[in-house]
This record gives sequence, structure tokens and C-alpha cells, in this order.
Amino acid sequence: MARYIPPVQSKLGQIIDVIVLVVLSVGALFLPLWLGLAGSAKLPVPVENPTWESLGQNPVMVQQWNKLGFPDAASAHDMITARYDYSFSWVSLAVMVIVIVGYFVMMIRFSDIEYREVIAEKFGEK
Amino acid sequence: MAQSDTDVDHTAHGQSMGLLRVLGPAHVWALGVGIVLVGEYMGWNFAVGKGGAYAALIACWFAGILYSCVAMIDSEVTSTVAAAGGQYTQAKHIIGPLMAFNVGLYLVFAYTMLEAGNAITLGFLVDTVAGMTGHEGGLDQRPFIVLAIMFLAWLNYRGVLATLTFNLVITAIAFCAIITIFLATSPLLGAGEMLHKDLMSGQASLPYGWLGILAAMHFGLWYYLGIEGTTQAAEEVRSPARSLPFGTLAGIMTLLIAATLTWYICSGLMPWEYLGDGVNGAVAPLFSAAQISGSSALVWLLGIGTLFATLASANGCINDASRAWFSMGRDHYLPAWFGAVHPVYRTPYRAIIFLVPIALIFALGAPLDQVITFSILSGLLGYTFMPINMIMFRKKWPLDTIKRGYEHPLHPLPAISLMALCSVTYFAVFLGYGTQLIAMIGFYIVVSLWFHFWRYRFVKRADQFTMPWPRPRGY
Amino acid sequence: MDTWNYIEYGAWALSALFGLLIVIDWIKIDTTYTEEMLTSSREGVLEAMTEKHKLEGGDGTI
Repeated sequence: MARYIPPVQSKLGQIIDVIVLVVLSVGALFLPLWLGLAGSAKLPVPVENPTWESLGQNPVMVQQWNKLGFPDAASAHDMITARYDYSFSWVSLAVMVIVIVGYFVMMIRFSDIEYREVIAEKFGEK
Repeated sequence: MAQSDTDVDHTAHGQSMGLLRVLGPAHVWALGVGIVLVGEYMGWNFAVGKGGAYAALIACWFAGILYSCVAMIDSEVTSTVAAAGGQYTQAKHIIGPLMAFNVGLYLVFAYTMLEAGNAITLGFLVDTVAGMTGHEGGLDQRPFIVLAIMFLAWLNYRGVLATLTFNLVITAIAFCAIITIFLATSPLLGAGEMLHKDLMSGQASLPYGWLGILAAMHFGLWYYLGIEGTTQAAEEVRSPARSLPFGTLAGIMTLLIAATLTWYICSGLMPWEYLGDGVNGAVAPLFSAAQISGSSALVWLLGIGTLFATLASANGCINDASRAWFSMGRDHYLPAWFGAVHPVYRTPYRAIIFLVPIALIFALGAPLDQVITFSILSGLLGYTFMPINMIMFRKKWPLDTIKRGYEHPLHPLPAISLMALCSVTYFAVFLGYGTQLIAMIGFYIVVSLWFHFWRYRFVKRADQFTMPWPRPRGY
Repeated sequence: MDTWNYIEYGAWALSALFGLLIVIDWIKIDTTYTEEMLTSSREGVLEAMTEKHKLEGGDGTI
């Protein structure tokens, strides 16, 4: 097999490639944040006139809350009642499975094409 | 430091300039544990928030199994593929270039995000200390975040031996701090202030039910995330075939102990709602535990422990992320400019410099749990790669074809367990952070296409395969 | 203004100092050495040597 000679990349081309990568990676982190789609929303479930008892706290817990700087139930209310919402739709779960599996399958396929080329050039054709 | 620069000069043999082989097994341990130990000082407690205290303990042990598999698999492959770049180089030799490019990015992302998370925690810690000493009106945390990253980048720039010796010292101190607070608060020696029974009763036992245990796996990884980074030192360790397995396996044992003790201390002192809220509640749970204990000596010790743990971790992250970035530059997966070695200090200096502003963007611009989630996701994608890698490795090069420095037992059981645990963790991330998961995978799909159809043309084909191995079976 | 405000300024100053040290050395190195020399590191070169030592020394250490 003929040896593959890669083209020499210009300085400008190198810089553009780096910028592309940086923009993509920063975008991947900040896009969900900017669109307000970032999950993790832990929302307090309001309780009227909270007391330690109505928040389900026993005396030992109350004693530790006091040590942590929460003198009464109202001050700890938001933290105690905050809950994640774990309800999900099976459709979105299926979408996630397809995306992840599809990603790995695509990657291994393309990798294998490239890998065969590498092996053929390194060890010669069979 | 001067002695490390000229210590062993391999370039005398030829004109090529490489990294220096100066590290021993203790440095490998310090690199692995140093990166991870901060996970006990902050971040793991989000697992409590996702499922309650019991769920966090179960997640801690299941994640422990996951990482034991990771350490075993990694030790076998890396005792054979000893090159900077770690899993990146493994993927290149075993699966193929595109996989390698992705794995390289997982590494750089996981470590750079973790570095940003460390810097954020450090800023918070300085702010807390300022408040405790009577400073009014809060502190500008930014200068301390920037200083931590700049100082460690400079240290890394100046040479690997000093960098990791520094890590060894501060990691050991941070580990001893955990042991000390355990002894001081447990009934073994101290006053026995542990209140598990009352704090984990009633609604507090499993607030989200069994689903919470699954969900907690997400942040359960945080107890150990980064231990696989030991392989990045492969090109700088004196005898990689022995030191890497030894340092990595000793590291995972240290972490299993530290993680369990940390859980025991914190869940016995704080209500789970407070402990599990890592943003407004226990940002640094061990430090909070020391504050509750009322002993000012413990507060100081754990304050210093937290500080050292964040520094050690950020330090190791800069080391690992830059090695991975450098290796990709060296193979022209990234612009060749990054593949440069500093002629005096023998470090991948351009990779180190380039990653500084990237880390700063994330440390100054994103909230802690998002940064941690991105780091965990990149790590998780890397762990998903490992079982595939292991199975292909044993298939293409069975045990009798190449000599391994370490052979892990019970193959393919660790690979299969690792794959199963990864699937559970994907589901755990999906519960609550599904958007980030999809955004992240979307990013990797786009860069994969970019690499396959554009970037790969600048890569020499056969030159990538550098190991003195025979032809793989089936090719 | 209390001590902590001065410490803040100190942290900014030190950050700038470390940044400056890195950049100065970077420019110095890039102008002193040729690009070929700086990017001459090759993966596996060290391994080839380790292998050789293994054959000679028997235990794989250098």
C-alpha cells in the first residue's frame, strides 16, 4: 500500500482548528445554561407556617440544624423541602439510549475504517 | 528543581527531545490520589442530595467496585502501552484513531473541568475563612481562583518532579486530616458524637426511595473520579511496567478507605438535606463537620486539608490534561504546535499554557454542580470506552502474544461489570441532568465528524502505531 | 479596607506575576530554539530504549 503523506497545515489553518474546538467545547457547556435548560432544578415544596415537626425533623436533627446556624424552622425551610423531580418519560429515556449507543457505534465503525488503514501501512498488506 | 532538569538526559542518545523519566511509584500514587482526594472534601455530597445518606453509601461502594475494575483494566493495558496520553494512546493502538481522538478529549475535558471545580472550591474556602476572621461584606473570590490556577500552571511548567513531589506532600497531609477527624469524632477514641441513628430515621432514611439509590450513582463517581489519570505519567515514570500498576492499585485502596470514612463522619453529623446541598449547604462537607464538632483545632486542620486537597487535585489535573493535549498534538490529531517539549524543563509547555485560559473560563463562568457534571460525564464516557478497549485488547493480542507487566484476573468479568455499572450511571445522570448529557454527547458527535472528515487528513497513518507489538489478530 | 482587601490585591498581583513569568519564558524559548527541535518528541522512542535496556539489564529499569 502506498504510504500516505499528509498535507502540511498552514499556521492559519492550525489556529482556525483550535478556535473551532474551543468554540464547540465552550458552547457545549454554556448552551444548556444560557437556554435555561440545565436540569438539576431542585425546587422547594412550600409548607405553610413551617415548624420543625411539620418538616419531619426529630430533636437530634433540630439540634444539628441549630449548630449549623439555622435557629428556626423557617430559616431551614427551603433547604429541607427542596426535592429533585425524578419523573421522566420513557420516550426521552429511549432517545437517550439511542443517542449514546448510536454515538459509540458510529465512533467504533469510523475508528475501524481508519485502524485498518494504519495496520495495513504499518505491517504491509496481508 | 535544578537537579531534576538535568538529572537523566535521554537526549544524549539522539537529537529528539522527550519528557524526563524521573518519577517513582510514590509519585504515581500522589498523582492518582491527589487528583481524587478532593472528591472526599467536596462534591460527593451531591449524591446525598440525590438519594439520601444511605443511597450515598451504597453509591460509594458500587462506584468503588466500578473503579476497582477501572484500575485493574487500566493497569494491565498501561503496563504494556506506556506512553504519555494514557488511555488516548491505548485507544489509538487498540481501537482506532477516531476513538483515540474522543478519548483524548474526554481526558482533557474531565481534568480541566475538575481543575475548574477545584479552583471554585478554593475561592469559596478563602471566602469562608475571611468571614470567620471577621471580614465584613464578603470577599471577591476571583483573585484566589485565578491565583490557584496560575501558580499551579507555573509549577507544572517548571518540571514534573517538583510538581508531583509537591503533590505527594500535600496529598499525604490531606489524607491524614481525614483520618484525624475520624479518630477525633468516632467512639473509638474521641467523644463519640456520631448521630447516624437519629439523623437517618423516618423520612431521612431513603427520601427518594430506591430510585434515589440509582440517582445517587451519578455523584457516587465523584469519590474516585480521576484515579485513572495515573497512566498519564507513563512516559515520565522510571519503570512503568511495575510502578504504574502498584501506584494505581495502592491509590484505589487509599480512596476506598477515605471515601467510607468521609461518608461516616459527615452523615453522622449533618442532616441529609444540608449535607446534600453542595451549593447553599455543605460546600465543603468535611470542613462543615469540623465546624460542628466545635474544636477549633479540627476546623484549622480540615480547612488546611480542604485547601491542600483542592490544590493537589488541580495540580494533578493540569499535569494530566496537558499530557493528553500534548500527545494529541504530537500525533497531529491537534495542531502540531502543541506537541512541543520545553528544552530545559522537559514539560509539554505549550499544552500547559493553552489550557490555562480554558480552565479560567469555566472556573469563573459556571456553577459548581454543572462543572462537576461535565467532568463526571467526560469521565463516564471514558469508563465506557475501557471495557470495549479491554475486550479488544485481549482479542487482538491474546496473553501469549505480548508480555504484560500486570495481568488482571477473572477476565472478562471486570469488563462486563464495568459496562453494567456505566449503564446504571448513565441512567443516574439522566435523572435530573438529562439535558447536559445530551448536550455533551451532541458535542462529541459533532467533533467526531469534524475529526473524521477534516482533521484526520493531517495525521500520518503508520507512524501512529509506535508499540513494538506484532500484527493484531484479525487484521 | 481591612487586611483581606490587601490580600485580594496581593492575589491579583501574584497571579499576574506567575502569568508573566510563564509568558516571558515561553517567548524566550520559542525565539531561541527552532520549531523542529521543540517538536522533536516522538511517542515510543523511550519505549524502544526501555526494551533495549530490558534485554541488556534484564529487569527493565534504567
